[in-house]
Amino acid sequence: MSNLPPSRPKPFLEPAYCKGCLRCIEACPRECITPGTEINPVTGLVPVILHLENCNGCTLCVQACPEPFGLRIDPTHGGLEGEFRLEDPEKLFGKKIVEVLTTGDLPDTQIPLPDCEPLVLKGTYASAVGALLAGCRHVYGYPITPSTEGAELMAKMLPKLGGSWIQAVSEVAAVNMMYGTGGAGLPVMTFTSSPGFSLMLEGISYMIGAEVPGVFVNIMRGGPGLGNIAPEQTDIKLACRGLGHGNTHALVFAPSTPQEMLDLTIDAFALSFRYRNPVVVLGDGYLGQMTGVVKLPSHLLKPGLPAWAVWGDRAHRHNLVNSIHLSEPDLEAHNENLNAKYAAMGACQQRSDLYRCEDAEVLVVACNTPARMAKGAVEVARSRGIKAGLFRPITLWPFPIGALKELLPQVTQIVVVEASPGQLEDELRLALSHADVATPPITHVRRFGGILPQQSEILARIEETQGALV
Amino acid sequence: MSTNVFYDHFERHSHGQGLKGHSTHYCAGCGHGIVHRSLAEVIGELGVQDRTVLISPVGCSVFAHYYFDVGNSQAAHGRAPAVALGHKLANPGAIVISYQGDGDLASIGLAETISIAQMGLPITVVFVNNAIYGMTGGQLAPTSLMGQKTATSVEGRTPAMGRPLKMAELMAQLDGPVYVERVALFDARQRMKARKALRKALQLQIEGRGYAFIEVLAECPTHLKMSPEHAEAWVREEMVPVFPLGTKKDLTVEPWFHPAAPSFEPEKILGLSGAEPVEVNKEPPIPHIPGLEDICLKLAGAGGDGAQTAALLLARAAIAEGYDATHIPSYGPESRGGTSYADVHIAAGEVLNPAAAEPDILVAFNAPSLAKFAGSVPPGGLILYDSTVITTPPEVPSDRRVLGVPFTQLAREISRPMVKNVVALGALQAATGLLPPERILSTLRQLLKDKPSMLPVNETAFLAGQRAVESMVAVP
Ligand code: SF4
Ligand code: SF4
Ligand code: SF4
Repeated sequence: MSNLPPSRPKPFLEPAYCKGCLRCIEACPRECITPGTEINPVTGLVPVILHLENCNGCTLCVQACPEPFGLRIDPTHGGLEGEFRLEDPEKLFGKKIVEVLTTGDLPDTQIPLPDCEPLVLKGTYASAVGALLAGCRHVYGYPITPSTEGAELMAKMLPKLGGSWIQAVSEVAAVNMMYGTGGAGLPVMTFTSSPGFSLMLEGISYMIGAEVPGVFVNIMRGGPGLGNIAPEQTDIKLACRGLGHGNTHALVFAPSTPQEMLDLTIDAFALSFRYRNPVVVLGDGYLGQMTGVVKLPSHLLKPGLPAWAVWGDRAHRHNLVNSIHLSEPDLEAHNENLNAKYAAMGACQQRSDLYRCEDAEVLVVACNTPARMAKGAVEVARSRGIKAGLFRPITLWPFPIGALKELLPQVTQIVVVEASPGQLEDELRLALSHADVATPPITHVRRFGGILPQQSEILARIEETQGALV
Repeated sequence: MSTNVFYDHFERHSHGQGLKGHSTHYCAGCGHGIVHRSLAEVIGELGVQDRTVLISPVGCSVFAHYYFDVGNSQAAHGRAPAVALGHKLANPGAIVISYQGDGDLASIGLAETISIAQMGLPITVVFVNNAIYGMTGGQLAPTSLMGQKTATSVEGRTPAMGRPLKMAELMAQLDGPVYVERVALFDARQRMKARKALRKALQLQIEGRGYAFIEVLAECPTHLKMSPEHAEAWVREEMVPVFPLGTKKDLTVEPWFHPAAPSFEPEKILGLSGAEPVEVNKEPPIPHIPGLEDICLKLAGAGGDGAQTAALLLARAAIAEGYDATHIPSYGPESRGGTSYADVHIAAGEVLNPAAAEPDILVAFNAPSLAKFAGSVPPGGLILYDSTVITTPPEVPSDRRVLGVPFTQLAREISRPMVKNVVALGALQAATGLLPPERILSTLRQLLKDKPSMLPVNETAFLAGQRAVESMVAVP
């Protein structure tokens, strides 16, 4: 070390950035640094003192200093370039393997799909095909019945499409892989089912907090606990009210046909990017298995790269995906932003499907597969002269209260049909209460434990309400 | 020395106000600062600042993104490797670093640490082990030493609290990592080695050779309640004997990580999905069962009876014919218990309710299925069953049509017992006129287009079923 030429640059210290830890003292072989004696008036700490007469510029002290702006090489020293030649990384490692983006915001590309006859697909497959058409090439998950088939199809297809399927060590790991890929600005999804969804909630809270997009297809099964693998709708509560800790919300879709599994999965990706927020697609076990006819859209999407993506290149270098805001006013402001986003979703994304509601007096409210049983019941009720209609929320959050409100003046009875002990009804009642409208009497058909409400019992309840009226 | 990988001004640290714009949030003498400096320097030297994504953990280094002028992501507690993997898969060209402390990596995130290491994808994990929880205030860490007094091991760590986890050794015995080294910061020599190890780890990633794990024994003067100098001595004298320094694994691996770019070719996607397009009849559908807008069937049997295949074929044929149709396989524990049944709906308009609680037509392949479902068939309905295996006809009111056809026997006659489900379809077609025979046959042909040798047997089976019924009853 002592043979080093004395012309090497010497260390430099801005006393205000020294915390006085003294680690540099032991590091210096030439005893150039001594503990300070005076308290720095700005920091209240005691910075070290440099005596550089014997200093040979070995920089060992710099290596020991934990503060980036503590000991540094004298920035005013002229010889820096000549003394330290940095290796040229291109020579060492060849050309970079990513294109260097010149702009932060690459738009998506629409690629036309060939005219294609309809497909016959089961619900989980329809959702998987939808995701592929929405440009998703990254799917992470953990096998859980009854959602596994969607994941299996992805596991088969993605390796051949230059994509990634990862069977994670747990749902906890899977959701955090989603956080990574979503944070990098690419579409990402998982297939899961109720117990797995519970495990993902922490990660969903982080995604919402950090404004990371991602799509969660939850094929709901019986609970609580291990429950069973038969269909239920008992994650409505979690999806609408319980997405982990903190102030969280996400769009929640409730498809009821394989076609909607495809369409709503595609929409879920678009909206998760529009709002930079996760989107939940809630199916039930029955719908996941149901095979039906599915028409494809006219285009598929090749995703671009949003300006906010943490891609690591120069155009995106300043980006940060993060949910920690240490100062209270900062976190309050962040929550205000989230609230504004939730309000925008609430105003713009309510969706519902109305079946024979024009003059309906008995309004059946149902979603997912039970809505199909309810549709059958409405049809029969109509044939028996009862003015029944089906109001089917397609978004459960936000609840489509706007469309419902318009129907209410003529409605004398609401019948909520669900494979849950009242989670859909709670959403309905909450929405009615917030909307501050007079509520007609509400009755219900509730099955659970893996049993879906059947058309006959829905019909019976509709007819009962008529009995009560006359 | 280049420190330009740090921001010129720490805007994210209390909005960069006052001193915080240029100093870290770390305590005086904290090892994290030294690791940061080395890491920043090697990122700069290797010329990858414009490719780097740093994942910061939960722990004292939660705010690493205040300092590093690279792409930054802040992960949930213990999940940094999962987030890192998500970044690497999204952008294989990125240099992804998972920076974690001992609570994060070796306690709450152990499953992620190990499983993602085993995948071996080229990422770099930097593990800062200071044998104590910093951020939460000095509690027991998975790497705390035996006897070490912490806020949650007041009298010292005992075996009942678990023994210190030797992560570098643990990682080295995994097959995934190519390079594992434990380094320290307590003197100039160690710091130099630490820097070298970090550099090598990043280089392995840059060259696409694999996963590297660097454990850094670091000082937490605050919670050791020591001066930085004493903390250095403590690491050297107390930690090193438990956590020996050095290279634990160093494989020579050729660069292998060259992932293909994602494909967005429509034909490729559709082809791979395995979903056969259905050529739909352009003529408006002719209802083949007059008076029925929506007909519902249940096909039930044992696991190998082919009820699901037959049901799916029927649904596809119906869709091709221009109807709406759905198929739901039996679902729930039954699918494991030997019974397999399928609900099919065929509707002229839209299938409203896809369930078949009261099937208009029941096709039963075995006696338990017949016993289970015969009673649910409403008046006017049809029960079609395999009379080879079911010897007693079901007892149902006389306004249900009951037809026994020896599906199994007929299938055996063409020496393919497994095609009894197609025999059943032939019988069903002949008994009900549900869908034109040619539609069912053409669907069959399409489904078997990759196994043309199977086609003749299946066609024969279908005809056999048809003929059996025609010989028994007048075609409706
Ligand atoms: S550069 Fe070397 S000689 Fe000079 S003060 Fe630092 S450690 Fe001492
Ligand atoms: S190592 Fe840095 S912070 Fe610590 S005393 Fe020396 S100059 Fe100050
Ligand atoms: S508590 Fe310990 S690890 Fe955390 S910043 Fe302070 S010295 Fe460093």
